[in-house]
Amino acid sequence: MSTAMNFGSKSFQPRPPDKGSFPLDHFGECKGFKERFLKCLRDNHFENASCRNESKEYLECRMERQLMAPEPLEKLGFGDLIDGKSETKSEP
Amino acid sequence: MGGLWVTRWARMAFCGWPWNHPGNPTRAAERVESCLRSGRSGTRGAERELRRLGTWRRPSLAVQPPRRPKSTNPFTRAQEEDWRRRNKTVLTYVAAAAVGMLGASYAAVPLYRLYCQTTGLGGSAVAGHASDQIENMVPVKDRIIKVTFNADVHASLQWNFRPQQTEIYVVPGETALAFYKAKNPTDKPVIGISTYNVVPFEAGQYFNKIQCFCFEEQRLNPQEEVDMPVFFYIDPEFAEDPRMVNVDLITLSYTFFEAKEGHKLPVPGYN
Repeated sequence: MSTAMNFGSKSFQPRPPDKGSFPLDHFGECKGFKERFLKCLRDNHFENASCRNESKEYLECRMERQLMAPEPLEKLGFGDLIDGKSETKSEP
Repeated sequence: MGGLWVTRWARMAFCGWPWNHPGNPTRAAERVESCLRSGRSGTRGAERELRRLGTWRRPSLAVQPPRRPKSTNPFTRAQEEDWRRRNKTVLTYVAAAAVGMLGASYAAVPLYRLYCQTTGLGGSAVAGHASDQIENMVPVKDRIIKVTFNADVHASLQWNFRPQQTEIYVVPGETALAFYKAKNPTDKPVIGISTYNVVPFEAGQYFNKIQCFCFEEQRLNPQEEVDMPVFFYIDPEFAEDPRMVNVDLITLSYTFFEAKEGHKLPVPGYN
């Protein structure tokens, strides 16, 4: 949906997400997890690598409350977090 | 045909005139008769006459006699017949191939659609965005990319839509979570639908969303505020693309539109 008028080059093709759309969290059930994740981001200069635990917890909250299709965490890229939770805390 | 008529009259006039001496009436008549006779003796006669006049032109294909072999030698004549026959078969094959190609190009459209449906590739030539790819992804830790977020709203939609973090630093191969927030300040439920854009657009092909809130109708009740997460990752092959060497900043931009009742927006993907 780029509005630039370049007829020669290819335009941007938005792709649908792999697993579809998140249902809306109308009741704010996972809001606490979200706040924790955002606080972690702000404390760590917005580095995603430091806050992967919090993002994993947010997604687990969603899965528990039927706000997301349950998926094994490895398929969501959290394979390394499941094996040793203590290891990730020491990572920079 | 008009040409032949003209020449016939002209021949008559020409034949009769220079020899129309008063002294020799019979001879002139003879000459005219001979001219006329030669005119009626068929195409060969016409050809001879016109050659005399200097206005000979090859007659049309309709009156041409059947083609005869060029040589009169009986041995080479058979060979020539053979060549002619072979040429005809080759020409037939070539014409059939051309027609076949044309037909194949027409048939390609439904055939390709069938192929896409059976193999499930669905329009994208790359079949690699499966979940097992995410499982085996290895983060490229030395390539840090800054992802900034932008939120837009169409003028007719009165939501307050904004990102909850200005930027996030990710590496290719690592899944990341980001949040947007939307509030409906009106007193009526509003349904919105969003789309996204990635800048620079060449990097957009490496930007994969696992789950987000786009392309589906999202309904917000009056005075309701919700968090909208985006779960994405950047393909590890991003680090190996030479065109992406200087790309350090990717901007993800979402735009919300109002979804009207009964109005179906075209959703990207192969239907």
